[in-house]
Amino acid sequence: MTALSFVSGSGRRLRAGRRAGVGVTRPGLAWAVPATVFFLLFALVPLVLVAVLSFTSWDGVDSPRFNGLANWTKLLHDPVMTQSVWLTLVLTLAGVLVQTPVSILLGVWAAGHQRNRAVLSAIFFVPLLLSATAISVVWRAILDPNFGVPSQLPWLFGDGNLMGSQSGAIAVLTFVGMWQWTPMHALLYQGGARAIPQVLYQAAAIDGAGKVRQFIHITLPQLRNTMITSVILMLVGGLTTFDTVLILTQGGPGTDTTNSAYYMYQQAFKSFDFGSGSAIALVLVVVATLISLAVVRLSGYDKMRSTSEGL
Amino acid sequence: MKRRSFAVALGLSLATVGLTACGSGASSSDGGSGTIHVLVYGDASNKVEKQMVDTFNKTSKVKVVLDAIPGADYQAKLNTVINTPQAPDIFFNWGGGSIQPYVKSDLLLPLDDMIAADPGLKSNFLPSVFNTAVIDGKSYGIPMRGTQPVLLFNNKKVLADAGLSVPKTWDELINAVQVLKGKGVTPFALGGGDKWPTLMWYEYVFDRVAGPELFQKALSGDKSAWESEDSKKSLGMLKQLIDAGAFGSNFDSVKFTDGGSPALLAKGKAAFELMGSWEYSTQQDANPDFTKSSLGFSNFPSVTGGKGDQANVVGNTNNFYSVLKKTKHPEAAAAFLKLMYSDDFVKAQMAIGNLPTTTNTEQFLGTAANPDYSKFQYNLVKAAPSFQLSWDQAYPPAASVPLQTAVQQFFNGKLDVDGFIKAMQALPAS
Repeated sequence: MTALSFVSGSGRRLRAGRRAGVGVTRPGLAWAVPATVFFLLFALVPLVLVAVLSFTSWDGVDSPRFNGLANWTKLLHDPVMTQSVWLTLVLTLAGVLVQTPVSILLGVWAAGHQRNRAVLSAIFFVPLLLSATAISVVWRAILDPNFGVPSQLPWLFGDGNLMGSQSGAIAVLTFVGMWQWTPMHALLYQGGARAIPQVLYQAAAIDGAGKVRQFIHITLPQLRNTMITSVILMLVGGLTTFDTVLILTQGGPGTDTTNSAYYMYQQAFKSFDFGSGSAIALVLVVVATLISLAVVRLSGYDKMRSTSEGL
Repeated sequence: MKRRSFAVALGLSLATVGLTACGSGASSSDGGSGTIHVLVYGDASNKVEKQMVDTFNKTSKVKVVLDAIPGADYQAKLNTVINTPQAPDIFFNWGGGSIQPYVKSDLLLPLDDMIAADPGLKSNFLPSVFNTAVIDGKSYGIPMRGTQPVLLFNNKKVLADAGLSVPKTWDELINAVQVLKGKGVTPFALGGGDKWPTLMWYEYVFDRVAGPELFQKALSGDKSAWESEDSKKSLGMLKQLIDAGAFGSNFDSVKFTDGGSPALLAKGKAAFELMGSWEYSTQQDANPDFTKSSLGFSNFPSVTGGKGDQANVVGNTNNFYSVLKKTKHPEAAAAFLKLMYSDDFVKAQMAIGNLPTTTNTEQFLGTAANPDYSKFQYNLVKAAPSFQLSWDQAYPPAASVPLQTAVQQFFNGKLDVDGFIKAMQALPAS
């Protein structure tokens, strides 16, 4: 499989230079059938059904009734929906800004040869093995205003009403998200950092560059593609954040942390309004796709530029 | 060659889709072979339900199959299957608004014929409870499990230290707030993060000030009820309580469901908690010593000049069994429902701490897990002129999110009286 994708992936460039070697043929269409069928069944069909549902009024009991654009006009004029889109973007952006630097530092550090590195890396990795539910429950207990950490550090947390204000709740969600996902992104960066040719560092060292300069001028540029992968994962993950919101804040106080994914759940499964829920779901799909495409385009990732030029 | 394998693969996968579609349709036909399915909320009470099913199946030709769905998923699952061939014959619910959409869709069997054939299905239950599942004059549910009134729990030790007695009137309650605050104790533990505990305060204050009729008026769609004098007076009283610091300043970060607010009461950091009767078993589980020595309980205080009777109660009236119209064995269903007022059922429920609302419950009160507590509750519910079902259950499901949001926002100051009234008037009524 890797050989096949190698051929199809770099075929264009190969053709420009040397002709593809004898005996290497383009893979047949049949190879794509299983994936295509799965994609149709589990991605495209549900997506189309959701799109259809978004033009109906359906409480899940009676059969869906077409109601034209009613769900969409309702959403357009729904202040909670507007707010939820902003909140989703804020939470996503905060996630990327907080998680990226920490993951890079941790990942690059874990790629080195320090003592106890393996043991510590394993410990850092633990949050990724826990379910989001468990993580949220644990952090709720730790942040309990009367019996948790805030009650011990009143000079830092005041009365501990973190989940009772919008800024506090957003901070908690961002922090817990970072705690949960940083290990995975650090793992990506670790892999990326390991792949950087050592000759670059050796050359830089000869030229007299210190650790910090090496990091800024070699490590970071070499991690460009890893970074794009990681950021896309964070963006898509951030746009669909749901479980931590459900358990930590339930969209509250009021609607202050009701992001789009949670609002979709509320509409569909709490208010039994599957039409509106479907419309929100569709908005999310479109926004997530657009953002991913934009990142790929703006970063030049689609040109498959190599980081090993000049080697 | 390539093209053919593509076509074959596509054909195969389509066949699989067809098969699965047929499969799910066929599996439902076992309803005809002499079984009825009973769908229940999955929790500790399933123990009794299994026992009842075993008893029933020993003598009945039509066998009952019990399907327990984990609590958190119950309502979504029920809503998903109820209009499909997989629908159960009998299902657990909360009466009131929780079954209204199904009644509207003509899915439920009115039980009046069953009751005509066996009057015991009605006469063996306390009327204030039985009426919760009456919609448009027809009965759609038979009480099962137990009643869950909301009570004002207290920490006896904290009250004694502050020299206070259990408040019987609103003025005594306000006085207690001042005294307790002076002692550095939060007067009322409140799990505002869960939202529904906050709603309990509204339910009682509205009931005491305006009587149960005002809420019934609002529920029936008369939006003027929310801007009436009594409604505004209730909101003013709540505001006064909040502003006095009766709930502390971080209640939105506290939850009941993770043990936060019960711990405040048990550890003496708060003096009272307004909570459903399950507070008792919760405390017994988490803080057995406290429960034994200092957990006190009382009815909500009266409001001088209020129209509501001090004996009125709010909460979850009971759980109910409703029957689907499409059931092939209505006689077997009726025979199964009969068990809900049998002595065995009542005794088994009492043993696990539930309080059934049948008329024969009284004679078994002595056998309860805690007889004093059960007697207090039973007498309270029996004497109650009105038992107001929790608002979020009384309204149709579509109202519960905006209702709870407004309640939380009024409590934390994001909505003022007018804003709250507007939010309540925007709720979809029945």
